[in-house]
Amino acid sequence: MEAVGIATTASTDEVCRQWHAPDSDGREPAWVLLVRAVLSSSTVVSLIALLIINNLAASADIGQPRFTNVSEQSWTGWTIKDFLSSQERANLLLLGSSLVLVPVAGADANFLKQRLDGTRHHRSFYLEAALKARTGYSVRTFNFALPGQMPSDAYLIEDFLLDGKRRPDVIVYGLGPRDFMDNLLPSPAATDPFRNLSRFGDISRMLDRVMPDWFDQFSFNLGQSFCLYGRKGELADQASQEFARCLNRLLPRPKGASQFSVFDRRRLLPGYRPEKLTKGEAYFRPTGIKEKPQFLNNVDEYRKRYRQVNWNTFMTQMQFLAELLDMARHRGSHVVIVSMPISDINRALVQEYAWNAYRRSVRVLAAFKGASYVDLEGSGQFHLSDFGDTVHLQADGGKKMLDLLADRLAGDHSVRLALKISADMGGNLQPYSSGSPGQAVSPLKPAQPAAPLACLRNQPL
Amino acid sequence: MLFNTLQYLVFLPTVFLLFWVVPHRLRVPLLLVASYVFYMSWRPIYGLLIFGLTLGNFLLVPLIARSAQVKHKKIWLGVVVAGNLITLAVFKYAYFSVHSLKEGLSLFGVNWHEPHLHIILPLGISFFVFEFIHYAVEVYRGKPLVKSFPDFALFASFFPTQIAGPIKRYQDFIPQLSVPARFKWQYLDEGMQLILMGLFKKVIIADNLALVVQAGFTHPANFSPLDLWLITYAFAFQIFFDFAGYTDIARGSALLFGYKVPINFNLPYIAANVSDFWHRWHISLSTWLRDYLFIPLGGSRCSQIFNYRNLFITMTLGGLWHGAAMHFLAWGAYQGILLILHREYTRLLERLGIASQLFKSKIYHAVSVVLTFHIVCIGWVLFRAENLTIAGQMLQKLAQAPAALLHFSAAQLACLQIRDPIIFPALVIILPVLMIAQVVVNWLNDKPFYKSPPWAVQVGVMVATMCLLTVFSPDTSPRFIYFQF
Repeated sequence: MEAVGIATTASTDEVCRQWHAPDSDGREPAWVLLVRAVLSSSTVVSLIALLIINNLAASADIGQPRFTNVSEQSWTGWTIKDFLSSQERANLLLLGSSLVLVPVAGADANFLKQRLDGTRHHRSFYLEAALKARTGYSVRTFNFALPGQMPSDAYLIEDFLLDGKRRPDVIVYGLGPRDFMDNLLPSPAATDPFRNLSRFGDISRMLDRVMPDWFDQFSFNLGQSFCLYGRKGELADQASQEFARCLNRLLPRPKGASQFSVFDRRRLLPGYRPEKLTKGEAYFRPTGIKEKPQFLNNVDEYRKRYRQVNWNTFMTQMQFLAELLDMARHRGSHVVIVSMPISDINRALVQEYAWNAYRRSVRVLAAFKGASYVDLEGSGQFHLSDFGDTVHLQADGGKKMLDLLADRLAGDHSVRLALKISADMGGNLQPYSSGSPGQAVSPLKPAQPAAPLACLRNQPL
Repeated sequence: MLFNTLQYLVFLPTVFLLFWVVPHRLRVPLLLVASYVFYMSWRPIYGLLIFGLTLGNFLLVPLIARSAQVKHKKIWLGVVVAGNLITLAVFKYAYFSVHSLKEGLSLFGVNWHEPHLHIILPLGISFFVFEFIHYAVEVYRGKPLVKSFPDFALFASFFPTQIAGPIKRYQDFIPQLSVPARFKWQYLDEGMQLILMGLFKKVIIADNLALVVQAGFTHPANFSPLDLWLITYAFAFQIFFDFAGYTDIARGSALLFGYKVPINFNLPYIAANVSDFWHRWHISLSTWLRDYLFIPLGGSRCSQIFNYRNLFITMTLGGLWHGAAMHFLAWGAYQGILLILHREYTRLLERLGIASQLFKSKIYHAVSVVLTFHIVCIGWVLFRAENLTIAGQMLQKLAQAPAALLHFSAAQLACLQIRDPIIFPALVIILPVLMIAQVVVNWLNDKPFYKSPPWAVQVGVMVATMCLLTVFSPDTSPRFIYFQF
């Protein structure tokens, strides 16, 4: 095809006129022209063929995203997979961003005295133990907190996953100001959780809110009506995996060479699929007093996040939170909103009016929608030494947070009621029995890890 | 607006349909409006800059034609060329000049606090300026003026070639605007084939190779000398497929309206020498440099030493045109030196009387192609590196390759260790395939089957390409490399 251009570079008036000479006398009826066009134009025929292939792919369900074939290569993917493959229903589910994920997993690493792979550890053993110590009941938890999770993401989790057999009795949702005012996020649809989750259900009713940009909406609608485009993520992944499989067979990794780790890859290609997470890449490690991690000053990052409050984003996320509370109540899950602690340094970055708007809105919403509200931010219990950076609690801070949370949950009538109702209806809530092996864990006396974690120890970590 | 975005997928068919629906007299205004919409979708204010430049050139160039005396013609030509070059200098070279001045002064112990310049380079300004200078010089040489302002404005701003060329010649482009063409399916088919081919080159080949290149040129210390050669080859093909892809889309888009714009590439990596390479690489730029820089400097109709001086200046300035940085300057100078060496080498062979014999030999030709490719690749290191320090590190390591080859083992290759992204080990297969493809296409070029493939083959290739592009279209569209120039 390059030759076509090469052969026709000369362009004088004469060539122009030749080139532009009409190819019909213009007297044929329109339908003849149309038929001629269809039969003679490779473009028209190609487009028709593409539509046929698309329809065949759609009817054969090729590349159709399903929860059963969710790609694991991200925090969201691993968590969904783990949630759906879990044999036991979790009656207490944790939602939130890394503000919740980091301290909860960190506290568990210390509690269990072993490093935990972030791709596979999705429970809070410490919280289970703390609740058992306070109430005498065994509670099964699932930690669905994801890095960068916004209320819009939490809403999709609730909408698509927390129904029927998998409905938790209690949802504990940890919130921070970033969840409502992140300037670094162009739209709610830009998070990894949203991108992953939105493929599994219908989000067209919320399109205006999650994709304010006209072209994003166009792209979404194009994907809805043209399945090859709509499922391109899955299809491209499958094709890449097949290609990789063939290549690995053809060109196996040479023996005796030093291995390139995922950390090497991240250093070499920082922009390459930042959401990607593989097994063994993210560990939560137990930390003693001696090896307490260094404080990371991430003020600059949060200064950018909070720089100018986008009220559209704020209102959209509040709306999603309200809808999540409605849906959870409708489905019979009790929600506990937790105002997560952040350091004073981080707090000072949020403008006063924005801070007040965030605090008041969340509190009013919780009260209005019948959710419990736990104000850890205003508890005055957290100091800079509890934080690993300006927002994330480190493991000891996480333990303190979970203890306070367990106190409040144990004392919350609505929570107790929700958990009890589950027990009466045949859930897995069991009366406390100190003698049952693997169950009798107390925060004061860490025990052996429970069954799911035991298998972690047998895996190459 | 980028060619590889959904916006363009909406924009182009819309303009295409309107173009063939409206009467002929409205087509130029329509394309003009579309071109400004295309340009201003990036940064609206720079639309005014381009309009101002266009108007200025349209009003001033006739003064060259109207001047009776050569002296006055020259003065007006100087004014027009200087005006264009000053605009380019302000936007493209101001920061570089100030920074270089500061560096220079610091060598003499002078600590000068440079003024803070926050200038955003208007997209495609280098291409606009070159087209305006071409117009002014051609009018000075006696070619006719463009009478219609919309035609002239469209010549400059025509959206398919607006951002990164090919650099058009007004004598070729303007006459096409006055032809009252009727729609032909040939326009659509040939245009679409070129657009799909261009997108394939960009999305499937160049953007994947970019991952390897990015890693290698940012962290050369992490790779062995042989890896760095692979990465350098990868960049050679990345820049070719990126720019050739852009050019194909530009030419294909223009064809949809029945317009032809010049080609830019003709299988550059099968060039048998550096001079041949520049006849095949960025053809519209190299011919511009020849016509409006090399020849005005004296060209080759002068003594040998001046001829070489002209060659060196032309290529060095050509290098600087690509970007305001020392490594581009070094790349240009390197090309200049190569061209001079090539001329000397050819003269030597001619003096020895073995030139024609050697040039006919197929083995000599094959060795020349391989050598030229490697010489060009060394130049690409200077071109791609962020600065001369990194380029130096890369070149130093590349020079260690022969020693590494003596003790070769596959375990040395970091590219074979990295399995994600899979393009790293795939290089070992893809790069030879891309090279062989150039040879095969060269062989096919004059075959009737390749020139006008059977209809079924055309459809098959188009459908396969459409499917591939649909599935592998990225969510975010990386820019074309030449947009920065």
